[in-house]
Amino acid sequence: MAKKERSVNRIGVMTHIGLLELTAAKKHSRTIISSCYYEGALKITRPVYLEKDSPSIYLIHVGGGYVDGDVYRTNLALEEGAELTVTTQSSTKVYKTPKQPVCQYTDIVLGKGSVLEYLPDPLIAYEGARFIQETDVTISEGSSFFYSDIITPGWAEDGRLFRYDWIRSKLKVFKKDKLVLLDHLLLEPDEGLGGIMQMEGYTHVGTFLILHSKADKRFIDSMYELLSELKGDVQFGLSRLPEDGAILRILARSSGSIETMISYAHEYARRELLGKDFFSWRKY
Amino acid sequence: MATAMINALFPLLQLCDSNFPSGAFSHSFGLETYIQEQNITGRDSFAEALSIFIRKQLVYTDGLACRLAFESLEAGEDASLEELDRLLYVSCLAEESRMGNKRIGERMAKLCSELYPSSALSNYVARIKAKQAYGQPAIVFALVAYHLNVSKETAIGAYLYANVSSLIQNAVRGIPLGQTDGQKILVGIQPLIGKAVDQILQLTIEDFGAVSPGLEIAQMRHERLHVRLFMS
Repeated sequence: MAKKERSVNRIGVMTHIGLLELTAAKKHSRTIISSCYYEGALKITRPVYLEKDSPSIYLIHVGGGYVDGDVYRTNLALEEGAELTVTTQSSTKVYKTPKQPVCQYTDIVLGKGSVLEYLPDPLIAYEGARFIQETDVTISEGSSFFYSDIITPGWAEDGRLFRYDWIRSKLKVFKKDKLVLLDHLLLEPDEGLGGIMQMEGYTHVGTFLILHSKADKRFIDSMYELLSELKGDVQFGLSRLPEDGAILRILARSSGSIETMISYAHEYARRELLGKDFFSWRKY
Repeated sequence: MATAMINALFPLLQLCDSNFPSGAFSHSFGLETYIQEQNITGRDSFAEALSIFIRKQLVYTDGLACRLAFESLEAGEDASLEELDRLLYVSCLAEESRMGNKRIGERMAKLCSELYPSSALSNYVARIKAKQAYGQPAIVFALVAYHLNVSKETAIGAYLYANVSSLIQNAVRGIPLGQTDGQKILVGIQPLIGKAVDQILQLTIEDFGAVSPGLEIAQMRHERLHVRLFMS
């Protein structure tokens, strides 16, 4: 099926290679997946209740990787008070895109007091890959949103780094129809990408975003102290956002060191802001 | 003709003077982090960093905003100024740099509305006062330049120049560099400003806010430096 759609896409007809639509709702004290639809190369696992009242789902790409012209759409909606954690089953691989870049659109709508933790595995962009990632999030009063994003250069035949063509990642957050955050990262290899002000000698970029009404200066300062104590080959910045929340940006030489830092930040934010304990995806 | 040119030239010279009291004097926008960590140590390393700063940040943020603001004034669409004002604010994720821009923007708006009054600028100042706008230097500059009847290209180029010359003056104090070296950098950087204007003219609003991670992290890390000469 995916193959057929791809050939359709090559002759210029807009189509989805994968579509996923999911709604989570709170029934009594428990969050359930109240509706779910998928087609093409995107699927999800059955919800797993790693925590008593809130499910976790794993996004699955059945094609093994994103190729030329692929378009993916994921729509997630959390109704009032719903709590959901979302990750992927494995990293997302983007291969060469000679004709059309790969586009991944994600639309997230968070109802009042809902909690979404969205922490996908790293993106790996291989030689010649062009990738557009656009994530739109609508937040509401009292909603919480944790989000991570890790961008990794894939292995290239000649062993050189940064062989992808470009990666453009845009995250927009809206509140009452107003844009309250735009995080726009453009990685476009040129002779200077590895150097000062760009990748600073590092190869991997990671982001962890926290939007929560209690993520104030005191919270951010203590999280900074905690992260500073981690001894890793990373460079990171943590800052307060225009909307209640914080952003952690990390440069590193491996996905592992970014994942370690994000998992510390995630655990801390979970405990301090959500009053929830350490959480393991039990993926491996 | 000559009179008209001079009429616009003098105010532009005034706005682009690194002594113009916009408050830019107090902001390094992350460059101080590199200076303290000895990644920027002298004329060559600073000139290199400045050129990346222009190409990888200024072009996609304030430079592009200045162009879009100028175009919306040409089209008589005042409302899109507010959208741009918000875009500039919400896309700057390092708090100090965000607040720095806001402070400079407010100050410039107030000062310029006294020096070069226009109804559009008064409206913008009123919106800032009413907290309907944040205040952004790129928008103030576009408003003043449009009122002075200069071309769009001149407005963008002059705005980039104003940013660059104030960063150079700050580097002269911060690194420190000799005054002559600072002026030499300002000469060397001029072709790059021209290129940046060309680049800005080819971008669209979809390109707005694209940043490089390293500089942004340096701007965030500046908040945690112990001894600081600059506010960002």
